[in-house]
Amino acid sequence: MQQFHLSGGIEFYSFRQTRFKQGALSIQFVRPMKKEEAACNALLPAVLLRGTKRDPDLRSITLRLDDLYGASVSALVRRVGDYQTTGLYCSFMEDKFALDGDEILAPMLDFVGELLLEPVTEKGVFSENYVESEKKNLISTIETEKNDKRVYASAQLMKILCRNDSFGLPRLGEKEDVEKITAQNLYDHYRKVLSESPVQVFYVGSAEPAQVAKLLTKQFEKISRAPVMLAPQTALAGGDGGHVTEKMDVAQAKLCMGFVTPITNRTADFAAMQVMNTVFGGGMTSKLFMNVREKLSLCYSVGSAYYGSKGVLTVSAGIDEGKEKIARDEIMAQLEACKNADITEEELIAAKEAVLSALRTIHDSPGAIEGYFATAALSGQGMDPQAHGAAIAAVTGADVARVARTLCYHSSFILARE
Amino acid sequence: MEAISYPKLGETMYTHICKNGLTVKVVPRPGFTRKMAYFVTDFGAIHTDFELEGKFYHAPAGIAHFLEHKMFELPGRDVSAEFAALGANVNAFTSYDMTAYYFSCSENFMESLSLLLEFVSTPYFPEESVQREMGIIDQEIGMNEDAPDSRVFEDLMQCLYKEHPIRVPILGSRQSLRAITPDLLNACHRAFYTPANMILCVVADVNANEVAALAEKVLGTQKKPAGKKLRHWQEEMCAEKQVSHGNMEVAMPTFQMAFKAEPVPNGEAAVRAEIVGDLAAEALFGESSELYLRLYEEGLIDSSFGGGFESIDGCAMLNCGGDSYEAPAVRTAILEQAATLAQEGIADADFLRMKRSAMGRRIRDLDSFDSMCFRICAYHFSSFEYFDFPAVYERVRQEEVLEFLRRVVTKERCALSVIDPK
Repeated sequence: MQQFHLSGGIEFYSFRQTRFKQGALSIQFVRPMKKEEAACNALLPAVLLRGTKRDPDLRSITLRLDDLYGASVSALVRRVGDYQTTGLYCSFMEDKFALDGDEILAPMLDFVGELLLEPVTEKGVFSENYVESEKKNLISTIETEKNDKRVYASAQLMKILCRNDSFGLPRLGEKEDVEKITAQNLYDHYRKVLSESPVQVFYVGSAEPAQVAKLLTKQFEKISRAPVMLAPQTALAGGDGGHVTEKMDVAQAKLCMGFVTPITNRTADFAAMQVMNTVFGGGMTSKLFMNVREKLSLCYSVGSAYYGSKGVLTVSAGIDEGKEKIARDEIMAQLEACKNADITEEELIAAKEAVLSALRTIHDSPGAIEGYFATAALSGQGMDPQAHGAAIAAVTGADVARVARTLCYHSSFILARE
Repeated sequence: MEAISYPKLGETMYTHICKNGLTVKVVPRPGFTRKMAYFVTDFGAIHTDFELEGKFYHAPAGIAHFLEHKMFELPGRDVSAEFAALGANVNAFTSYDMTAYYFSCSENFMESLSLLLEFVSTPYFPEESVQREMGIIDQEIGMNEDAPDSRVFEDLMQCLYKEHPIRVPILGSRQSLRAITPDLLNACHRAFYTPANMILCVVADVNANEVAALAEKVLGTQKKPAGKKLRHWQEEMCAEKQVSHGNMEVAMPTFQMAFKAEPVPNGEAAVRAEIVGDLAAEALFGESSELYLRLYEEGLIDSSFGGGFESIDGCAMLNCGGDSYEAPAVRTAILEQAATLAQEGIADADFLRMKRSAMGRRIRDLDSFDSMCFRICAYHFSSFEYFDFPAVYERVRQEEVLEFLRRVVTKERCALSVIDPK
């Protein structure tokens, strides 16, 4: 990896790789996660993708991508701990596979520059038509989250678990906030994002990093920047827990349970907590899968997730109506087993190998490289995959039990049949 | 071992047919840590009727998927735990016309491959574990019933087809599962899990000869007879029913629509038919089409809209779907646009650009281990070498695409499935 500090406070990370068919580029403007602007940050890239001065509508945009051998550009809106990012993610074929010596990377960067910096404007602000149409899209995306009952239930748990923390806000904002957006206030926000936000750019591909840095500088020179530093990431702000039951006409109930821990990916025990999460509820050999699903046939899906940027661990299970109590008890019993170091050597090895294997193969896909390093940079995790792997390899059963004991049950949510 | 290199794609494919009849395909990935193997049979959810050893079977719906679940058990051993101990991530899926078992790992590849070959070739179905599995699959069916994407597609298949078993969900029903017995599972295994019926596809930095040698060592060299699939599906080229309506807990109405197409033949014709179908979808309602822009701007579709060409054993279709309050209007617009395109044609420059874009996306897709394994296996079962696709793109003519639109995108061949909010 090569890191460049470009003028205007733009951090550029370049990974030179010649073995892929495609390159990847992401440009992220980093914002604090806040109710007042989360919806704007989610909407912004969608509006930018509607048209530029040169290609003023959707069709000319996609035709230009077709000309670049089916390249793709999509909105990139991440939530990492206390931050939200707004920007674009591009994938494009490597130049060497193009016909007749066609170039892809250089025209692609020009195009991305136009998308970010030369949007279609009317009366000095965004096109009202585009803003209204993308608002409808975004509201529909937010609302259709309800269609996937597991995702919906997890999001509801997060709202209870993180009621005093920005982590409880939905990644794309809320409907009521999207509705308040106008072409004018979104454009004002856009100008602010361009000038104030820290920017992170990631490139994975075969081109010379210095060359890509030059092409990027050419784009960003067009704007004046005065970046404002963001407050460092924080662990979950405490608060009372609770339980909520929501009734819906569903065939299968969804149970979600939330736990908190002071261990985040910025603290020493991060690796141990990742192994703990995998022993407990990661994959087909975890305690939850083996006991709640295989032994007791209580559910089809069950697993846990650990949010290292915040120090939150959640369990989610799809269960039969009326099995809530027994499933809950079994989940708690399995966590208790972890706390008591009731972990076999096989379970520990399997969990460590699963995490290690994922780390070893990060370098095998442009998307995985971008995802790992971008998330690490944003969340303040100071490890590369190699150091991270060494930390995982050193985790013992006693470490797993020790970090499991820091987990406190906090809240739960159940989506039940009417 | 036969090696063919594809310099334009920067790929080499090693192929070997083992004495036991198994096809082994290896695509080397020098310098990559990730290693992946797919072990696949062309037996899927729709193949419930077959002949084996002179006996005719009509197996219960959902048996292929049930069998997939049960393969993960070996006498006194936990297959998942053994893969986990090797650091490999194992999984499987059942589609309408194939069942795939696969793993990915960074180390212990040969040991993991040996385990994959062993467990998929070892039938072991104790009665009480077959019973227990029903509880787990009941839950999976419950999950599926709450998923609008699955419901809307399953409803659509019941509209579009009259006899073809794609009408039946892959998982079967709670009721059909109850008819599954260890004997039936054994019969399916004997019929379709013989090496001659399967393909082993490896994408990894490994030696192809060693992979083939291991396959013969674990599976033996003996060639065993395979079952014969019975395909007595008579489908007229029109939709059985034009519209289906359902209600679920969804935020806004969602739809899927499909136009029934002739099943694709084998060999190069298969991939050619598929590319023609894909290009037709692209020209008709792809993101760079006139129609997409118009419907998007009018708010009839949103960014959830998408579609393409699907080919399954014995059936094929052009389909699209997404969230919309006005699905019937989308259908009308698609039918009108197909007629216009078929009449007016596509400008040559536009057609070339479309082909180049579609080919570029396929080339990019080769970076994905999963997608490459999947496509190599799927094309193998239709007797085509996947890496030959760039040449097929060059040969496809505009007239074929227009002819496809004229023939397939008609009112009679169209079915629409809509799920409305409660």
